[in-house]
Amino acid sequence: MNKHLNLLLTAVGNIIRNKVRSIVLILCLIAVLFPFISAISISEGIKFQSLISVEEGADIYVTSDHYGSNAPISLRYLQRFQEMEGVTKVFPRIVGRTYFVNRLTTIVGILPENIPKSIHLAQGGMFHERGEVVIGKGLAKEFRLQIGVRFSLSVNPSKLFRVAGIFDSSATIWSANLILMSFEDASEFFRMEGKATDILIYTRPGYAPFLAKEIQEKMGISNPDQMEPPLRVQDKPLVRRYFQRGFNYKAGVFTALYTVAFALAIPALLIVSGFGQTERRKEIGVIKATGWQTQEVMEMVALENLIISLTSAPLAILFAMVWLKWFNGAFIAQFFIAEIGLMAPFSVPSRFLLLPCFLAFLFTIVLTMIGSLYSTWKTATVPPVEAMR
Amino acid sequence: METIIRTEKADKIYYQGRPEEVRALQQIDLEILKNRLVLIRGPSGSGKTTLLNVISTIDRPTNGRILLHGEDVSKYSDVQLSRIRQKTIGLIFQNFNLLPRLPAWENVAFPLLPLGVMEKERRRRSMEMLIQMKLEKRINHPPEQMSGGEQQRVSIARALINDPDIVIADEPTSNIDAESINIFLDILMDLKRKGKTIVVSSHDPIFLNYSETIFLLKDGRLINIEHRESK
Repeated sequence: MNKHLNLLLTAVGNIIRNKVRSIVLILCLIAVLFPFISAISISEGIKFQSLISVEEGADIYVTSDHYGSNAPISLRYLQRFQEMEGVTKVFPRIVGRTYFVNRLTTIVGILPENIPKSIHLAQGGMFHERGEVVIGKGLAKEFRLQIGVRFSLSVNPSKLFRVAGIFDSSATIWSANLILMSFEDASEFFRMEGKATDILIYTRPGYAPFLAKEIQEKMGISNPDQMEPPLRVQDKPLVRRYFQRGFNYKAGVFTALYTVAFALAIPALLIVSGFGQTERRKEIGVIKATGWQTQEVMEMVALENLIISLTSAPLAILFAMVWLKWFNGAFIAQFFIAEIGLMAPFSVPSRFLLLPCFLAFLFTIVLTMIGSLYSTWKTATVPPVEAMR
Repeated sequence: METIIRTEKADKIYYQGRPEEVRALQQIDLEILKNRLVLIRGPSGSGKTTLLNVISTIDRPTNGRILLHGEDVSKYSDVQLSRIRQKTIGLIFQNFNLLPRLPAWENVAFPLLPLGVMEKERRRRSMEMLIQMKLEKRINHPPEQMSGGEQQRVSIARALINDPDIVIADEPTSNIDAESINIFLDILMDLKRKGKTIVVSSHDPIFLNYSETIFLLKDGRLINIEHRESK
């Protein structure tokens, strides 16, 4: 026991004694790890917010199915859905995209009473009259839009809008560049009279799966006038799966890219961890000559690596937190959120989970161990005189 | 008298089988008796250091046998050789080989770490050794702040910390001044009085007066053995 304690204290002493090497190694490990931790945290944050939105949303979403893709649905279905047993609320929605100057924005046409609870007005009021809109805080901030400002949009420049309110939202990434307007205004703007991009159905608890099945079976193929395309029915679990799969895919792609970068970083770290290796090699030769055994040398070096990993991993996590808090995840967030540019105009969501943090710790251990244990073993197993040369 | 070290037809060949092959030691047969001060002499490149490396087990012979206390150690495992160096052999290197930035007492105590000796005891024992070496004012100084002679004495203290039977010194006077040489000789004689076997490689004639056995090497071969009376 005393021997292991001695080796541990010697490892600590070596780290302090070789300050420059230790600091360079810790900095390199932080540089390699913090983008990974930041990315996984952003991915988890977005996934969490997405799931909140999904949970707040409707139980069933119905659209037309046009060649396997979502297509606008006729408003004639509204009455039929309302009459179904177990349905508590049905409303249509128009969701479209257009440019506000050079910023791609999402337009949602919806009845004011159907606006999600997560959206809170920060300034002004809700839209009441035709042409009135409520805009997201991000958009308002970027273009310095204030209550009362009038504007038009590129898809239909003849239609004029007036900012009635500015909203904040707990689900920040969805609301930053959002323009909310009445269903009628959106319908006119996108020239989609008599249609919605989707119909949202809320049901009594436990009814959703049966209703989704019924709609799909009864109206999925045949529809009232046989002129419309078939329907596409998506229930909450399906939407949840889409979101999760989408973000898992993005996180997977990022991890794959990161693995490539990581593989490239290993040789770099080998060089860094071999920084001062000539001196180290000689030291190992000397201590072996004075009676140390290979396993004792290995234990000491492994303990050094463990301490460096224990120092680097929390620092990398801390650095990732700072990067997300102060720099809003710059360079990393854009990988997960489309068209946000270098600096997101909203607070990038993030969640630090135990598993990625633990993985970061494992990464540091693997990196430092690869970097030094093999070379130490090679040095320690040759005759000491060769190591001292 | 008991033989403590014996070599039998020991060869050391570097780059064997390659055009640049060097035969550093060739068919060396020698015997070192216990409690003797042995000098290995010869011109530069004669194989003195190689012979010391081989008998101190920090290098292996290419062929032949090295016997310590009658045991053939040339085929010993890495672990067994480490144990021998820990318990039986104390090494004093030509360039001292002290660990940089470590204070003198920690350099001396370094061999005690894997033995589980705790700091307080390590410090006590290394300070005792350093006081014997007249280095009480240099206990907390790193090698960079010491003269060559002082570094050599730290190196001697480190070699003796585990109380080995055999002390091996390679060219001990080549990097120190005249005053330090005299101190070193006093230490050697003291060690001999304590029953240690001392093997020194040097071409410095000062050792001729103190040595009881002198091996003369030339081109890796042992060409002469001279035995003298104890001084």
